[in-house]
Amino acid sequence: MSDSTDVATTPKAAGSGSDAAGVPIVLDHVSKRYPGTKSAAVDDISMEIPAGEIVILVGPSGCGKTTTMRMINRLIEPTSGTITIDGEDVLSLDDVKLRREIGYVIQQIGLFPHLSIAQNVSLVPRMLKWKKQRTNDRVDEMLSLVGLEPAEYRHRYPRQLSGGQQQRVGVARALAADPPVMLMDEPFGAVDPINRARLQEEFLAVQDKLRKTIVFVTHDFDEAVKMGDRIAVLDQGSKIAQYATPEEILSSPANAFVEGFVGHGATLKRLQLERLETVDLRPVTDADSAAPRVPIKATLHDVLDEMIAKAQESLVVVKDGKPIGSVALDDVLARVRELRAEAEAREGA
Amino acid sequence: MGNGGDVQLAFGDGLSFRQWVDAYQDDLIFYTRQHALLAFYCILAAAVLAVLLAVLVYRSSRLSGLAINAVSVGFTLPSIALFGIVIPVLGRNIGSVFPVVVLYSLLPALRNAIVGLQSVDPAMLDAARGMGMSRFRMLWQIELPLAWPVILAGLRVSAQLAVGIVAIGAIVYDVGLGQYAFSALANLGSANTGNEALACVLFVAAIGIAFDLAFMLVRRFTTPRGLRV
Repeated sequence: MSDSTDVATTPKAAGSGSDAAGVPIVLDHVSKRYPGTKSAAVDDISMEIPAGEIVILVGPSGCGKTTTMRMINRLIEPTSGTITIDGEDVLSLDDVKLRREIGYVIQQIGLFPHLSIAQNVSLVPRMLKWKKQRTNDRVDEMLSLVGLEPAEYRHRYPRQLSGGQQQRVGVARALAADPPVMLMDEPFGAVDPINRARLQEEFLAVQDKLRKTIVFVTHDFDEAVKMGDRIAVLDQGSKIAQYATPEEILSSPANAFVEGFVGHGATLKRLQLERLETVDLRPVTDADSAAPRVPIKATLHDVLDEMIAKAQESLVVVKDGKPIGSVALDDVLARVRELRAEAEAREGA
Repeated sequence: MGNGGDVQLAFGDGLSFRQWVDAYQDDLIFYTRQHALLAFYCILAAAVLAVLLAVLVYRSSRLSGLAINAVSVGFTLPSIALFGIVIPVLGRNIGSVFPVVVLYSLLPALRNAIVGLQSVDPAMLDAARGMGMSRFRMLWQIELPLAWPVILAGLRVSAQLAVGIVAIGAIVYDVGLGQYAFSALANLGSANTGNEALACVLFVAAIGIAFDLAFMLVRRFTTPRGLRV
């Protein structure tokens, strides 16, 4: 197994404080059939979603990814199979109460226009009959968490916010009652590309602290690679074609469907997952003084992009603004050869 | 025949309109208030019924289609004929005016309530359900507030209808300003029939305008702030 998921999963971040960390979700032979249709909307899906990870359901439209997600909080009832959250069968629970324990974010955001931002965020805590003071504190905490100044935003109304701000509120609302599990259906799909990238990064930073178990639906494979600790690729037949880490899917797709879905440039995408930190840096020389700079947090994809953009074979790596070494094109290529060897070894195993 | 020398608005041999109003001031005030009050109660009843019925049918496209078609058909019935049907059943009393006026007021209110509830963005409902709202809570906290401006617009039309049909109700029972109109029709050509007819028209219109202004205020104060910004 490639270890690069560690970047995303190991730091059991400080500051998680009182927040409830994620719990595992298990889908066991789950199917959904609508009466009068020949093929199943979801066909015998089994998967284990580890606690505290982001699992992406990705696939073409009609592959049942959203249906699968919506069965977890019983917005859709499975026809057969069982789903357990932290060992408890969801079908044995009261559906309304169950949903209050699961954060829910949708593409259309669905903020209620007649309620202020604070009222929107506090909806689930109020349904759970939290004390007023606790609810108010929580609203401020959540707004700060998603980067909205509480004093400025709590009394505004959704229509006074931009799309990106609205989706931040959507995330804050889903997190308000501190659910261990979050379901997110193309949460950043309606936001422009620049804001989407920012929201994705901010959300990953938040998740780094909170370690919720997140089921995330998207049709965008690049988003899946960026956001996912694991990715389940669903095929046209509403079955799981491959369920693995992004690295594995990119380096060894299970079949032709997955390969096609990953699309061209799998190797380049693979480099998006490799941090510069994994490369041994060279010492900085005088010759590098004029070379372009790249932050240590950058991915090899960023490095390569910068090298091509500036037509340079060597870049200076900076950490907190100070040069700490340099990286050359050969280093990147060496890492690519290593990755290929790893993938071959895995396939041989 | 005294003429005030100012506005000359006399019909036949009667008093000038101003003199007539002065002479029958007490009656006029009484009937205007009675008319307005009866219309108000009818609107209130229609509002409650419309929202209740709409809540019952709006989720079923078949039932709500049926209700909206019934509303369209209802509008084509002449109210005077409906009063004619009601008299043999309920007799000539206030109790037979009330249901007919409520029925007419119900029509626009019901149609708007159904359309208002149905036009709530499905994404709102998905979000509400997904975050664990019960059916009742969704209706009370999300759907009704969001549909409220549309419901209120329907009630505003209902109010105008109610004021007009209460006037026709005077054919069944001696109530409201409509009595002046029917008295004028019955005694056409006699003294003061013109004054009676004019009084009916003007004061009914005044009640209608008053209701409309009241609705503007109600809308101003009951529309959630987030829907106004």
